[in-house]
This record gives sequence, C-alpha cells and structure tokens, in this order.
Amino acid sequence: MTAHDENLLTEQQLDIFREALHCGAADASEALGRWIGKPTSISIDSVEQLPLAEATGVLEVGDEPICFCIAEMQGRLTGQLVLAFDDSSGLALADLLLDLPRGTATAWGEMETSAALETTNILGCHYLGSLARALPAGDDLTSQLLPSPPRFSRDFAQSMIAFILMDQITAADNVLLTRVQFRIDGDPVDWTMLLVPDAASMATLRELLK
Amino acid sequence: MSRLSSIRMGEFSVAKGDGVLCTLVGSCIGLALYDATHKVAGLAHMVLPQSRNSADSSGKFVDTAIPALLRDMTRLAEGAINPTARLTGGANMFATNAILTIGQQNIEASERILGEMGIPIVGSQCGGEKGRRVTLDAATGLITIEIVGADPIELHDRPRRRRTHHG
Repeated sequence: MTAHDENLLTEQQLDIFREALHCGAADASEALGRWIGKPTSISIDSVEQLPLAEATGVLEVGDEPICFCIAEMQGRLTGQLVLAFDDSSGLALADLLLDLPRGTATAWGEMETSAALETTNILGCHYLGSLARALPAGDDLTSQLLPSPPRFSRDFAQSMIAFILMDQITAADNVLLTRVQFRIDGDPVDWTMLLVPDAASMATLRELLK
Repeated sequence: MSRLSSIRMGEFSVAKGDGVLCTLVGSCIGLALYDATHKVAGLAHMVLPQSRNSADSSGKFVDTAIPALLRDMTRLAEGAINPTARLTGGANMFATNAILTIGQQNIEASERILGEMGIPIVGSQCGGEKGRRVTLDAATGLITIEIVGADPIELHDRPRRRRTHHG
C-alpha cells in the first residue's frame, strides 16, 4: 500500500459503508416505485476500490456515448452522484413517465431530459438521505446529505467517469466507487447509479467508519 | 486491418507500421508524439501534472509520462527520434474549481516539459465541456478527434526543425 492508498477504506470499513448504502437503496427503491408507478428494486451492485485504469471502465459500455445526470453531494459527504444510462434506456424512462408506448421518444428533447433529471433528483434525495442517517454519528454538526440539482450530459462514458473521479485521483492511486442496479417490474434496466466521494469525504468516511 | 490499441486512464503506448492508438479523455490530457521519419507514434493519457514518487504509475503524471513515452518510442524506432507533439483534452465537463484547475495545470505542465525538451507542439485541441476520443495512426501521423454531437476533427502534423532525442 502506498502513502496515497492509506486514504482508502479497510475491508471492515467497506462492509459498514455497504450496509449504510443498502439503507439508501431501499429508500430510493420505494421512492422510484412511487414516481414511476411500478414495482421497483434497487440493489447495491458493488462497493469497490479500483485502480485508476480499471475504474474508468466501470460502466462496461465500451467507447459508445451514453447519458449522465450528475448531482453534487452536499452535507456529510461531498462528491458526485451519477445516474448513467444508454439512449434507449433513458428514452424508455421518459415514455414510462409520460405514459406513452415504449419507443415513442426517439431523441433527447426538453421533456425527455427533464424526466431523466427529475428521476435523478428523486433517487438522489432518498438514496443520500437514508445513507446519511445510516452512517455512524460523527462529530459533524450536520446529519444531512443532499444532492444538488442534477445536470444532464451525453458523452463518452470513459471521459465522463474519469472526470468524476478526478478529485479522488489527486489523493490516491485507487478510487472508491459504489454502484447500484435497477429492476422495474422484475426486469433489469440498463441504468447505473454511481456514488463517488471526493478526496475530503474519503477522509471523513475513514473517520466515521472506524 | 490496422492494429488498434486502446489506452486507459493513466497509461501510455507506442506503435509503428499499421498500429493505431486510441484513448478517451475528458479533463485529462491526451499527448500524441509522432516521429515522421521512423513513423513511430506514442500516445499518453495523462491525469495529473506532477508525480508523487509513485513508481508504478508513470503514465498518470505529465512529468513522468513524457520521458517514459519518449524512451519507448526511441526503443521502437531503434534509433534517435525527432518527435512533434499534439495536445488534446483538458475539458471542464461539469464546472468545479478544483478540476478546472487540474485540467489547466496539465496543459501548462505539458507545454513546459515539452518546451524544455525541445519538442514542438504542432497541434492542440483543448478545453471545452465535452470528452474526446483521440485516435493516432502510426502510418500517417494523423490524429482524429471525435466529440459527441460534432463532426470528427483531424489534426495534422506540421514538420519543423528541432532537436534529436536519444531516449
């Protein structure tokens, strides 16, 4: 372990963090189910500390452009919360929310983008809110964890992931990534939500999860 | 069919003949070096301006990636090389002050180190808010930059007089 990797979490700390993330995912599942009007399940897919080169491939989508809704975390932890999806999965969400047959939306217009951003906002508020409550109490005065208003972008996955990881990279050779996956009506959906703490929050987590 | 090598974040690679190098950059810097005489190409995906004595990740830092890239290109050419440089990347995809600063620092560190080594920067396509797919063809030295939602851009090498590098 290098001096910079001392900033990373131990296996025991990762387990505690994973449990807190499960609480966030459960709350986010309920909220998303209410929002789209269908039974929804969100599960923690991975909580990993990966070498840099591996981390940029975490979405496993190759070189193709995909869509991102990105919110900054504010409160107990800081960093980025990202909902990522390919065009067809994102546009299918818009059809679902607008009560239109799947395949109606074919391009990213104002309505489709708004649907994706509002979904990210709902997911983020519930996921982060429950995560904040599930984390051990620390010395910090605030117990809240909130997302900023999300922003939408369509870009190369590896470029975007590299950008999101940049703050952690300044302090460590490995990076912490947490990923959740979705099922709607029992079927898997090609959306991925990533939670990426920044370097300052890695120190906060190390302290909180002792 | 050409041989395509994809370069991941913090890595670099060299090629000649029918080799093609490719990387995807956001705020990082894609540095392409090309020696037209030997038709030897090198591409680095550099993340941060300065190394922190990290021996096993020389491609991650501007100050270690450039010498390492030159060394491997010289080996591949089996002789002294006269490379030119082109810089891409440094995007500010979602504005945050820290990341914006790092992107600019990467560009400045690249320009400074290349200048100290006498390697001319003959093309640059940096900044903006979008990621870039950068492809370097070792046979021609041609760089193609793809940006989502825009037409591909070609950056051609413009030869000039410069020092010779022995690795």
